[in-house]
Amino acid sequence: MKVQGKIEHKGFGTGTWALVTDNKTYELKDAPSDLKKKGLKVEVNGEVREDVMTTAMIGPVLEVQSFEVMD
Amino acid sequence: MMKRFFLLCLFLIGLGWAVSGFSGLAAQGTYDSIVLDFREEIGQQSITNQIQAIAQKYQVIPYLNSEFSPEDNIYIVRGDKQLLKSLRKSLGKNTEYIEPNYIYSANYSAKFDNGVLYDAVPPYKNISQDSFFSSSIPNDPFYGQQWNLRSINVETAWNETHGEGVTVAVIDTGVSQVPDLKDTEFVGGYDFVNDRAEASDDNGHGTHVAGTVAQSTNNGYGVAGVAYNAKIMPLKVLSAGGGGTIADIAEAIKFAADNGADVINMSLGGGGESQLMQEAINYAYNKGVVIVAAAGNSGENAAGYPARYPKVIGVAALDPTGNKTPYSNFGAGVDIAAPGGLTVGENTAGGILQETIDPETGGSTFAAFQGTSMASPHVAAIAALVKASGITEPEDVARVIKESARKVEEDPLNHFGAGHVDAGSAVQLALKGQITFRDFFRWLRDSGYLNPRFWIDGGAVALLPKLGMVVGSYLLAWFLRNYFPFQWSFSMMSGLVAGSSGLFFLRGFYIFDLPQWPMRMMGSSVPELGNAIAGNSLLNPIFASVLIPAILVVLFLGHSTWKWIAIGTTIGVASCLTVSAVISPAVWGLGSGILAQGFLGVNALLCLGLATLALKAETRTV
Repeated sequence: MKVQGKIEHKGFGTGTWALVTDNKTYELKDAPSDLKKKGLKVEVNGEVREDVMTTAMIGPVLEVQSFEVMD
Repeated sequence: MMKRFFLLCLFLIGLGWAVSGFSGLAAQGTYDSIVLDFREEIGQQSITNQIQAIAQKYQVIPYLNSEFSPEDNIYIVRGDKQLLKSLRKSLGKNTEYIEPNYIYSANYSAKFDNGVLYDAVPPYKNISQDSFFSSSIPNDPFYGQQWNLRSINVETAWNETHGEGVTVAVIDTGVSQVPDLKDTEFVGGYDFVNDRAEASDDNGHGTHVAGTVAQSTNNGYGVAGVAYNAKIMPLKVLSAGGGGTIADIAEAIKFAADNGADVINMSLGGGGESQLMQEAINYAYNKGVVIVAAAGNSGENAAGYPARYPKVIGVAALDPTGNKTPYSNFGAGVDIAAPGGLTVGENTAGGILQETIDPETGGSTFAAFQGTSMASPHVAAIAALVKASGITEPEDVARVIKESARKVEEDPLNHFGAGHVDAGSAVQLALKGQITFRDFFRWLRDSGYLNPRFWIDGGAVALLPKLGMVVGSYLLAWFLRNYFPFQWSFSMMSGLVAGSSGLFFLRGFYIFDLPQWPMRMMGSSVPELGNAIAGNSLLNPIFASVLIPAILVVLFLGHSTWKWIAIGTTIGVASCLTVSAVISPAVWGLGSGILAQGFLGVNALLCLGLATLALKAETRTV
């Protein structure tokens, strides 16, 4: 699936990277370092992992397969 | 008559000497911090300036003593005599007082874990006094920053228990034994991510969570934990990135249940409903494990999995003022609320402070985190305190925690579940109905029967040997009575008690600031008198022998009442020496082996022979 949104860093535990859309926040799993930039607007191609739990618990876990920077 | 008067005089002289020999009541306490109470009338701005000046001049950071302190302007700084002197000199006119912050509690609760401290200040009645004088304030230097522990009223709970004998499984990113977990007991866990026995932390989350549960406390270092005498079972299911699979988590739950965990904490969540997870939870629950999980941080109207499973206690997060944090989930699946903290950017004062690892360096660091992850271990630790107070079934533990919570009247969206969790009330509710030793003395004190400051050391008397000695002496007397019929009399029984066990319950009885040995002496039997004053357990061979009974019998056999005390004492000593020979044959100069055993045994037989002779002589003359 493809999700568009803004990259944010959420301060839970030692911190986690999130993709924030208009109505949902995704927790990014295995985000490449190029994606870890606050405020970056991107379209992420990935898969929501229903079988994964995390410490951050900020929303569905989106495993990143690829992404594109939008402007 | 003359003789009695003479003995009374001797007793009074002895008592007078004991009390006068005591060095005095002005015992010196220790302190490593100083209390400053600023005058209110100098104004908040001026106080702030003063504090900044102190910080710069002396390189210390004054902090508020507690959440109740701002209006009183009470600040604490770390420091010694030297600093105390200089502060008094420079700040005297701006403060109501500057005084050492004596560590009242630290020594007591560390040293006297089996005991109960009774002071003249009733606990949990006067909060502001309590935070200064209660027996429960630990000496961990950053304890002042742990607003969360005060807000769950943990000090009241610590009057009763610290989670002794309870194991809390932390299913998380692993737990590393950072310096402030050095004194915390660990039991074998497992790393399901790397499939190995050692479950250390490579993220920092699990170590932090374990710290909230059982950070080493009263160790003069770092911060405190809620149930600090509970054991930690580290189970690693989440990788360094903070994620892990439901399959591993389900396995970890089963592992915990099979390996003696009493409580499971899961500061994790996400994903969908899972049959596997549900089964693991049922399995653990049916084995008596209390399962606690974080409600989740997505600010949504429903707790995430696993918190929302019915057999899991789902925990929402509170900020320092007791409001729901903006991130905390609420609504369905939220059973209770606990401090989760709120950090705003670089300002982490509102977070939950524990020691954990820094994943960048692998070293240890004190970090303030926020999240329902931080709220959950508060409740898991309180579950451990409740379990340690005698409630075993998970259903009952959950009921006690919910019923004792501070209810929030207006809560239409179920932000708080049963309310704000309260460790002190939970433990008190758990103990209700079970009349404990402590309750009894508390009742005596509260009813006005006892007003002195006293303290009972529950561990001072090994009860069973004592009972054996008393019962043994009665059996011996009963046996002898078959051959030499005599009347049971008060004198006889007093003799039996004095010879066998003494008023042993007095042994653990302390009155503050008075020497304890008179209590030990009255609490000792005749054979133990020789070591009672010194307070050790080595029997003195002169006292622990037939010598004193023989002297008593020779002196008093002609007296109509006292002879029964002498005979009773002789039988009692025989019983005491026999029990000692079997259970703890340590005699000064003779070691604790066969030699000591033989000595005690022979003397017991001699006592028995002596009692027989005395009784024979006695019953013949009747």
